[in-house]
Amino acid sequence: MPGMDECLSEAMAMPGALVAGLVDWTSGLALGALGGADPQEHEAAAADAAEVVRAVAESPTFTAAGPGAAGPEAPLEDVIVTSAAAYHLVRFVDTAFDSRLFLYVRLDRATANLALARMVLRDLAERLVLA
Amino acid sequence: MRQPAGARGAHDAHDESARPSAAGPPRGSRPARPAPAVHPARHLLGRLAEQRATGALRGPAGTVYLVDGAVQHAESPCAPHLDVLLTACGKISPQAWEESVRAAAPAHRVGRYLVENGRLTRGELELCHLVALYDAAFFALSGGTGRDAAGLGEYGFEPGAVHWLGPVLPVPVPSLVRETERRGALLDRLSDWSRLDAAAVVPRPRPVGCRRLPTPGQRRLLEAADGRRTPADIARLLGRPAYATVLDVRRLAAAGLVAAPDRPAPPAPQRRSGAAAPGGAAPAAGASASRRGSVRARAEAAADSDPGVSLLIRIRNALEARL
Repeated sequence: MPGMDECLSEAMAMPGALVAGLVDWTSGLALGALGGADPQEHEAAAADAAEVVRAVAESPTFTAAGPGAAGPEAPLEDVIVTSAAAYHLVRFVDTAFDSRLFLYVRLDRATANLALARMVLRDLAERLVLA
Repeated sequence: MRQPAGARGAHDAHDESARPSAAGPPRGSRPARPAPAVHPARHLLGRLAEQRATGALRGPAGTVYLVDGAVQHAESPCAPHLDVLLTACGKISPQAWEESVRAAAPAHRVGRYLVENGRLTRGELELCHLVALYDAAFFALSGGTGRDAAGLGEYGFEPGAVHWLGPVLPVPVPSLVRETERRGALLDRLSDWSRLDAAAVVPRPRPVGCRRLPTPGQRRLLEAADGRRTPADIARLLGRPAYATVLDVRRLAAAGLVAAPDRPAPPAPQRRSGAAAPGGAAPAAGASASRRGSVRARAEAAADSDPGVSLLIRIRNALEARL
């Protein structure tokens, strides 16, 4: 059963992974992080990603349930930002206890596979909290 | 290269604790007032980290446990402990929790026991522990109210004291101090609503034209806000971290979705000025803040009937919340 460190190591083992972190978006705190040259880079990335995530989580456009859904909202899964240089992936971690956590990974666009990375991150987020 | 909590290696705890005041303000924030002196508890914690101390730093609003100069755990009467977070959501039954504490507390290894007996995955234990630790430490290191620096005399260090939860993931002291300061700064941006921190809050109808949706967590908070429970009561009831609850109550108040119940409902403007103004009743508010408060209350009274005014007020609130 992986702990947070193993989970982040596995995220960093993906092709093209540059930075991986687990973030509490209540305040934008990196609970743990790997990769990158400068530790302050993690704090900045966590704070920036948390701002985006909060904006998404509070927007009805992004949380609206599709036709036939049970609840008023569909649970959010990923937030993906792409630039000419990088892919940024956020995967929400669905804990049993009340929390606001996500996994974040930044990937080098030249070497990463976005579809694969998304599946790996989903799998990691699930294994982190499933018995 | 493992960089626990706050992305700092454990060695940083030693290097940085010698100059705790070096911790800057949170990134992107502009302090609303001159930077306050380092809180005495945070200063003391920095010195203990420097000495690689093991023991418990006890203060008026909680206790921080150190092992070898790194933070092992924190507890505060203001914040729900791990057991509340885990039993309120049904992850662990109260009986199973008590059984685990009875079996493993004497050896200081309750955390490991929960994982070994399949109650939690290691990931769940680590995440829940870190969430509870940062939450309790915020109150323990803020003297409860968050802003008033209590005298050092109120803090005492008990060398050798170890928490019964046992080791999970240690947090370097500089990371914890930085995060505590950052959380304080986030609350300061919403200081107009500070009087709701300890108020029995009630939901308000969504303002006309408001598209912002409460998150699922905020919705549970609104459902629990019955005009009798304070944010701390709601946090305990829902098994929700206390800091997140206080912050959400202020954010919801800024969006017009929650208020203190003593605020009269759609009334004559003259009755609403003064005491009913958000922020105006806060003890820390100065004369100008009170004046601003009464203007605010009159404006909000007008907003009840005019969607245009209501929109302007929400824009102003949103701007203030982001500055």
